[in-house]
Amino acid sequence: MAAFSLYPIGYSVYLSLHKEVLTDPLKNPFVGFQNFSNVLHSYYLVSSLVSTAAFMAMAVPGVMIFGLLSALLLNEAFAGARILRVAILLPWAMPAVVSGIVWRWLLNGDYGLLNSALYQLGIIHDYIPWLSQPALARVGLAVAHVWREGPLAAIFLLAGLQTISPDLYSAAAVDGAGRVAAFRRITVPLLRPTIVIVLIYETIVAATTFDLVYVMTGGGPADATSLISWFAYAEVFKFLDLGAGAALAFLIALVLLGVIVLYLRILRSEERR
Amino acid sequence: MSIETLVEGVTTGRLSRRGFLQGAVALGLSMSGAVALLEACTSGTQGTSKADLTFVVWSYGVETIRDNIKKLEAKVSGLHVNFQDFAWTNYHDTMVARFAAKTPTDVCYSSDHWLSEWAAAGWLSPLEQKYPDLNGYTSDYFPYVIQGMTYQGKNYGIPYYADTWAFLYNEDHLKKAGISQPPTTWAELAQQSQQIKAKGIANYPVILLFAQDDPGSIEVWTSMVFSLTDGHLFDDSLNPVFNKGGSAAAKTIDWISGALNTSKILDPASLTSQEIPVVKAMESGAHTFTILETYNQAELNKSGSGPFSGQFKMAPMPGDTHNTVGYVRFYAVTDQLTKRDTSVIKFGDDFLQYFGGKPDGAISPVVKRWAVENGLGFGWKSLWDDADVRKAFSTWGNPDMLRQNQQLARSKEGLTKYYPSWDVFTRSELQKAYLGQVSTTAALTAIADKWNSLKKG
Repeated sequence: MAAFSLYPIGYSVYLSLHKEVLTDPLKNPFVGFQNFSNVLHSYYLVSSLVSTAAFMAMAVPGVMIFGLLSALLLNEAFAGARILRVAILLPWAMPAVVSGIVWRWLLNGDYGLLNSALYQLGIIHDYIPWLSQPALARVGLAVAHVWREGPLAAIFLLAGLQTISPDLYSAAAVDGAGRVAAFRRITVPLLRPTIVIVLIYETIVAATTFDLVYVMTGGGPADATSLISWFAYAEVFKFLDLGAGAALAFLIALVLLGVIVLYLRILRSEERR
Repeated sequence: MSIETLVEGVTTGRLSRRGFLQGAVALGLSMSGAVALLEACTSGTQGTSKADLTFVVWSYGVETIRDNIKKLEAKVSGLHVNFQDFAWTNYHDTMVARFAAKTPTDVCYSSDHWLSEWAAAGWLSPLEQKYPDLNGYTSDYFPYVIQGMTYQGKNYGIPYYADTWAFLYNEDHLKKAGISQPPTTWAELAQQSQQIKAKGIANYPVILLFAQDDPGSIEVWTSMVFSLTDGHLFDDSLNPVFNKGGSAAAKTIDWISGALNTSKILDPASLTSQEIPVVKAMESGAHTFTILETYNQAELNKSGSGPFSGQFKMAPMPGDTHNTVGYVRFYAVTDQLTKRDTSVIKFGDDFLQYFGGKPDGAISPVVKRWAVENGLGFGWKSLWDDADVRKAFSTWGNPDMLRQNQQLARSKEGLTKYYPSWDVFTRSELQKAYLGQVSTTAALTAIADKWNSLKKG
């Protein structure tokens, strides 16, 4: 426990409070909160927060909607449902690096499959450089993220759906409730705890997305997909500033903690109602 | 640390005899027991010392490297090379992680990009420290090769290969467009591209390697800057000059932005195109002009590379001076190797001589092999006298043109310990300017501010 959790955290705290620039190996003075201040005044903070917020605004609802619709579908009894429940997990089971390469290839502006398909269908007349336009690259990244994360959300929500007794739906039907009313009055309230857990998890995953960015876009074009977690990586491995990297990682964790507390408070206040 | 680790360390030469004894005693062995164990461990290797040498590279020609290693191991008794390779675009970050974590690394590929950073961090060792004999070859290197391997006046490597950034074009496209000569200026390139576009030969006649995550992208841009009058980024005191009004850098950005957004002769996919996608796109005939590392002309023209194999020619970089970037990728000795046993350091010498020096009085067979088989450029001026090299280069290019490009090549400017950080920042700022998100002046001001702040430390 100490080796795998406490030591790394403790060492990160140490790094964040010292000047630890690898190209100055002999100068490591204690600098207090200077690294935190540097990060808060960095050139990338505002732009990367905007990029991260834009990404989360697309990715989290995308994953939740995809997950819920898939779970509702998979909760129905139909031929091949069991196979589909396993198959749907494949994108999630795929390493993020592979997913990134696949999507980079699919969205390539010169020879991507998406362009080829759209062109052959007559929908476009010129290939679209999906990942070379900042706005399109952000959307492309979010779509790839939903494709990868949606299945896991679907499985969690499916598990939640399967704990709801079918008798409740039968009783509702006897009372004259339609499918929509049953969904609103039975499914949503009973699924709410699962939804909140999945929402918290997917918010954390979206806010800390790094691997997909690294492989798919490298943060480009023009930093459009350089999310805040990308800069935590860049501070350490590209700018060689371990102190700033550790400080930024702590700030990200702090913000996420705030978001999680907010979600839980909302959940509790709704439960009280 | 366990006894097994100590035994492995001392038998492979990674741990000194003293280190072994200290470790064994710390683990509870008596001194006499530790000495006896040490003798048992090393008795079989006395006289014919055995050691592993960890060699780390970026992934290119991996099978050729393995074969070269096999040949060296057959030649040098007792040497075993532990070989590892990583993707080029991730190489810098991977090596930073390795060095910071002290992962065993004895010899590695490095680039002029990163030398100052890695040397300042204490990860690399100058050749004079353990391999002064390898320092004697520099008089036969091209100037940009020497500059690219020098940090604080000391030489840190021997060339793996050294090349230039070259302006390449598809001659078939030019003929179809009725153009007899390749462009000699950037204005001519724009005009010829529009002609080609108008005739429907290529929708985007120009593609450039500008992916934000490819370290080559800064070299393409720098080559374009170098090709112009007063094509400099810094003065002699490393103060930025690129941010002055009408600078070569500003003209270059304006040209790229115009080509991308106004005349639409530059493929927008350039902003995400790494080296291999650019090569593949050129091979397919989708584009007419590009700037690539010279060795890619061999790749483009090799038999079976595509319908335009043999049609890819090189011309001097368009512009006024036709200068371009010359760069060197080299074998670097890590600080870790210099701390190993004398026998292992000797193996390091054997390795470096074979891979990049003069093992038997003649230039390394490995350097020559890369040139002949892959078209990789070289750092040695005298290798141009080699008939095999000239013959091989003639099959895919014009040796006189290649040589001319080497003479026009200059090392990148500003190669300091903060150059890699500045480079990462600069690549994204340049993309913002290309896309028109910020003005050329604003981008260059931000890039200069970043440089000055890094310089200040």
